[in-house]
This record gives sequence, C-alpha cells and structure tokens, in this order.
Amino acid sequence: MRLKIIFTGIGGQGIIFSSRLFSELGRKMGLGVMGSETHGMSQRGGSVIAHLKLGEFWSPLIRKGTADFLFSFEESETYRNLSYLRKGGVCFTNLILRRRFNEKVLNNLKKKRITFVAYDASQKASRIGLPMFSNMVLIGYSLGTGLLPFAYHKLRAVLEEMSPAKHKEMNLRSLEAGYREGKRKWKR
Amino acid sequence: MRVLLGNVAIARGIVEAGCHFVASYPGTPSSEIVPGVVSYKKELDLNTYIEWSANEKIAFDNALAASLTGKRSAVAMKQVGLNVASDSLLSSAYTGVVGGMVIISCDDPGPHSSQTEQDSRFFAMFAKIPALDPSSPQEAKDMVKDAFELSEEFEIPVLLRPTIRVSHAKQLVRLDTPKVIPRRANFRKNPERWAATPRSRLLLHKRLNEILKRVEERFEEESRWNFELYSSKKAVLGIISSSVSFAIIRELIDELNLGEYVCLLKIGTPFPLPLKRVERFIRRHRRILIIEEPGPLIELQIGDRRRVSGRMSGHVPLEGELTPEVIYEILASVLRSENLKNLEKTRDEELEELIEGLSLPSRRPTLCAGCPERAAFFAIRKAFPKGIYPSDIGCYTLGLNLKAVDTVIDMGAGITLASGFYHAYAQDGKRIPIIATIGDSTFYHSGPSGLLNAVYNDSRFILVILDNEITAMTGMQPTPGLGVRADQSAGKRVPLEDLVKGCGVGWLRVIDPYDVRNMVEVLKEADKYTRREDGGIAVIIARHPCLINYPESLKGKKVRVKITEECNGCGYCLEFFECPALKMDDEEKRVEIDRGLCVDCGVCVNSCLKGAIIEA
Repeated sequence: MRLKIIFTGIGGQGIIFSSRLFSELGRKMGLGVMGSETHGMSQRGGSVIAHLKLGEFWSPLIRKGTADFLFSFEESETYRNLSYLRKGGVCFTNLILRRRFNEKVLNNLKKKRITFVAYDASQKASRIGLPMFSNMVLIGYSLGTGLLPFAYHKLRAVLEEMSPAKHKEMNLRSLEAGYREGKRKWKR
Repeated sequence: MRVLLGNVAIARGIVEAGCHFVASYPGTPSSEIVPGVVSYKKELDLNTYIEWSANEKIAFDNALAASLTGKRSAVAMKQVGLNVASDSLLSSAYTGVVGGMVIISCDDPGPHSSQTEQDSRFFAMFAKIPALDPSSPQEAKDMVKDAFELSEEFEIPVLLRPTIRVSHAKQLVRLDTPKVIPRRANFRKNPERWAATPRSRLLLHKRLNEILKRVEERFEEESRWNFELYSSKKAVLGIISSSVSFAIIRELIDELNLGEYVCLLKIGTPFPLPLKRVERFIRRHRRILIIEEPGPLIELQIGDRRRVSGRMSGHVPLEGELTPEVIYEILASVLRSENLKNLEKTRDEELEELIEGLSLPSRRPTLCAGCPERAAFFAIRKAFPKGIYPSDIGCYTLGLNLKAVDTVIDMGAGITLASGFYHAYAQDGKRIPIIATIGDSTFYHSGPSGLLNAVYNDSRFILVILDNEITAMTGMQPTPGLGVRADQSAGKRVPLEDLVKGCGVGWLRVIDPYDVRNMVEVLKEADKYTRREDGGIAVIIARHPCLINYPESLKGKKVRVKITEECNGCGYCLEFFECPALKMDDEEKRVEIDRGLCVDCGVCVNSCLKGAIIEA
C-alpha cells in the first residue's frame, strides 16, 4: 500500500499530533513512514501543514495533485490546500454547518471525482463538552465513513497509546463520538 | 525501527557515535536536536554533557574545548547561528581538532522561519572544512557517525548540513546500538597549534590545504553517500543532486518512469566535491542538470559548465524552496528541450484561480491570546506613537502586527540599531523617541555587548526587555535567567537585572506589562531620564511569564471581559491590540470575543478608545 495524506489547519489545532497518530498506525501496519512537519513561527496561529506518506517513498513532501487524502481542520486552509488532492482523492474538512462551501470549487472537485466530506466537527466537539478536541472528532468521523483503508479499532489503540495521560480520555471520547456519527451518516 | 523527526534522528546519531559533549543554542529548524539528546541520555543512562549555551559562538567554543581534550563533541544551530559562530569556525579549521567534532547547521530554504536563505555549505568551503549533506533522517543519523570518524581521522571539524526538510522530516529510522567510547579529558599543550601566532598560522593553513586534498581523494572513492542511480546506457540527461532535492527527484523519476532517459548522481559530500568523479559523469551525458539547495555549491566547483544547467544558467530559480512542484517544472522543461518526453501539466490552474478569487483571509502568525508581549507593545505605542521601534528575533518579532516593530535584523540588533539610530539623529541635533525591544533569551544571547557599548558611547534610548522567562518561539528552552539547564538539572541563575546594571545602565525598572497604564507611565518616566543632561539609557524589564509555558500563571487572576453596546466597530483594538480572540462581527459591525481563544487575561480593557471593553 502507498498512501499520501495531507493534514492542515491553524497552529494549535493538533495537526502535528494527528499526523503522528497516522505515522504510528502506518508503522504498526508494517508500512514505511516518510513525512514533514511545520515547526517554528507558523505554530503561532499561522497555517500549518503536515505531509505524510505511508509505504515506499523517498521524499518527505507530497507534490500537488497527488495526495490521496486531505484532512483539514479549518475552512480557509481547506481551500488553500485542495490542490494537493489527486483525481479521485478524498477531502475531510471541518466545516461550520451553516456555511456553504464554494459551488464553483465543488464543481471543480466533482470533475476530478474527488469525494468531499464536510462535517461540523467543532459543533460535535462542543456538544460533548470537548471544544478543543474537534480534530479527533473529525478523524473519528473520517474512519466512520469507510473511505480510509484503516480499521477504527487499530487507530483507537494507537491513540490510546500515544495520548498524554491528561488528554487520553478526552481524545478517545472525541474520536468515538466522531466515528459513531460518521458510521451513522455513511451507512451503505 | 522507530519513526523519528530528522532532528531526533541526528540526536540519535550523536548518541550512537558515542559523543561525549553537546552544546547548542536553539533556533528553527535545529531546536529539537538537544532535547533529543537529553531524552536519549535519560533513556540509555548516559554520561553525555549537554548544554544550552547563551549563543552559538559560545556553544562552538565549548564543544571545541571538549574536542581538544580528546572527547567527541557536537555543536548544533540554525544556519544564521553559524554566522555568529563563524569566528570560531574559521579559526578552528586551521588549528584542527583532536576528538571528533561535528558542527550541525540547519538550513532553511524558503525561508520558513529565518531571516535569510543562506547556504551553510558555503561556510564549509569558506572555512575549508568537509561538508556532509544528508537527504533523509536515516541518512542524517548515519552521516553523523561518519562525520565523527572523518573528523577524528583528519583532525578537522566536519559540517553536517541538514535542510529544514530533513530536520523536520519524519521517517522510519533503523536504530543501532550506541557506541561507548571511554575517554578521559586530556588536553595536550601545544601552543604552536592551539595558540598559534601568524607565523605558525601559515603552516597550519598549509596543513589544512593538504588535509582537504586528502579528504577530497577519500570522497572520490566514497560510495555510501555518493552514488549513481538509473544508469541506463541510453541516458542523455545526467542529473546531479544532493540533500532533499535528491529524494524528490528520485521519487519523480520512479513515479514518471523516467529511468531510461535519466541518470542520477547523488552527492552527499558537496565539499570538497569529488571533482574527478563528477567530471566523468558530466562527460558521459549530453546534458547535465544540477539540483541542490539553497545555493549553487556543487555547480560552482565545476570548472567547465558549458553543458550544465542549474542556478548559474538560469534553469533553477535563484531563491525560494525547491519544492516537488518547482523541481517538476524544471525537469519538465529540460526533458522537453531535449525532446525526451513531454510531462503532462499536473497543476490544476482552474482550481488555483478559483481559490485565488476567494480572497481568503491571510493567515499571518500572531502573538497568542494573553501574550504579555502584546501588552508591552500596546503600551509602547500608546506612550510614543511616533517613536522608532528597533526590535529583535523571537516571538515578539510579531509585534510587527501591532505596528510596534520597525526593524528586525539579527540577534541583538534591537539594541545596537537603537544606538545607531540615536547617534544618526543626534548628529543633526534631533531627538526622536527610540524604544528598542528584545526578548530575555535574545538579550542573554547578544544583548550585553551592544548595551554596554551604547552606555559607553552615551546613546539615549529606552530599552524594553520582554522577559517571559523562557525561550518561547523555538519551543520553550530555559534561559540563564531561570537557572535550569538543558537536562532540567539545576544551574546558577543569572538575573537580567544584574546584567543590565553590570553594563553600566543607571536607570532600571521592573514592571508587569499586564498593567498597561502603569507601563505607559513608566515609559514616560524613562523618556525623561534619557533626556536629562546626566541621564542615559533607560531600561525597563517587562516581566510576565509566557502563558503557553506557564498556563497556571493566570490561575486566580482571570479577568472575564465583555464588549458593551458602546462598540462602534472602529477597529482600533483589532489594529493596535491585535488579539486573535478579538474579531469583527461583519454583520453586526462590531467587535466580538472568541471565547474559544480568549484566556481571560483582561488586558484588552485598555485597548478600546470608547471604553467599550469592560470587565464582565
């Protein structure tokens, strides 16, 4: 298996942690791991992007137009990074319910057979009383859709292992809440 | 096998090489190396000496001394740190070393988090020391070990130059058992070498040149870091590449099935360049493309560049990062011009135009909600709206957003530029309020010499030292002001107050910038002192802990604020206070508080001209 995944959002949204979660999952599945993280000034509220490649790769960066999956925790970063996706790729984005994603952009994605999954992970996170954990809600939701080649219970186990003690329970609860919702909405 | 960040892989390499002594000053993209060594030291119960030094030159000299006693030492920094350490670097190339000494200088093409895109490898050439150029975390780890061997064998410091895409790449890395090299400090006196006067220096220079020649011969035969791929007989295009650019090209060649047209020479030892080997490679191909970053070091060492395309010929951009997209375009144009293959356009220009047309909000980095530096900058502007504001390097560079930072040149230049500004105006008989800002860690790094110089030459300005009690921007490293060392053991505290007084400053106040009104008054008092005949430089230490590092510091002191009907949406607070938790509600045409970001510091009550932000 060869997979290219982009994680994006604003500094402080747990982008690096999310990409590390999938790195570790990939490693446990016996895949090669290669990727790139943003550190330094951008972490003060600037755009943050993490590239992750699972399987046999040499370079840490994903070329635009070739990513299989895009996880975006913030709407404007979704727009900015959609160009990373390949034809037939999948975008998971956090999107405030009442906001409409740009029609023309959606048409462009449709032409490229890109699956666009928008979900208000922030709202869900607030509802379960964990507003700071919308990233885990979105990741849980993405697994619920069945579009990713990863088993939920495996990712959950990795999250349990990697979470710092004070966040463990909250991370797991958020992941599960998102997963349930994803599964419910994407029942086939 | 473990997934390691490039810098942690380098730390692992340092440990596996049995290195005894590590010194560094933090700076993106190098900051994770020392914490990596600290955690391996704990995990493996090692006796490694590790220090955060006050600056890169100091780190370099410490590591050099350890090497002179026969121990293995490493010094790590970001590329502009090597500018600071360059005095030591050039001299130590002449004297050479005893125990292996490896200099790690991390470059930042882009630049993502630096003031220049300089190429540290040119420093290796300038100083005449070997440079190793890793293309991945795994290679970086293995190269560190080779660098120690090379350094010890040739008694010369060796540079390891990872770019940001190696330092901040992560990869599944193979771990080896750390070597234990028992060595007791044993400095052998030899003034002809270690304290050489110009006469002996000439001899040392001759020796250095001979060493370099021998290193070059070694690199000619080297096959672990220099090798060829895709050696098809039919290949007409030869590509020479190093660092992460090599990794990107290798992947592109695989992905686009270019193996039959292209031959790839990977160079891991760009200085001294194994020139014979490179020239043989050039002769075998009709066209040569050189992809390296950020500068043309390999390219410039090639004498006959008639068939060579690179930066010097205009085929590779002279600035900016060589991303996969940029390299793809370069490759496509060379393949096209040689009639080899037409690569399809993969950029979706339609989508790019659509996104461009959305005019998305620009996402500039900002000081965090509750940051004490924001409070200080706001007070400075309030007190002297028409001042000149020389500043420095750290989180507080972002005072730019509040229009309270006019210059950011290099570490310590907040003070030295303030001094120069003063004299340039004073020469014309003019006085303009000059308010310099510098962070605590930056002050320890290179503040005192500039400050004592300014005192000595009777400059008149206000210096505000923004003391958040940590090196925040680079990831919360301790400062000499804390008295905590790199491995969390106790050191001795060096208070800022003592240093400032020691530089001869006659006026010093320590305040909490959260009390904006008080800070404005103190600033005005300071200004008076700078104008007095018998006055001088006035220093204010604005002390308040960084909220990211000390989240508990707000406990019991939270002030919840609200915005009243008085708000008319003038935007003054957004422009001059610029807290990420304050936002314009475009429909209501007034400012609102983002409760998700607000930390209840309460400082913004000072930021409204109408008094519409009040305690709730």
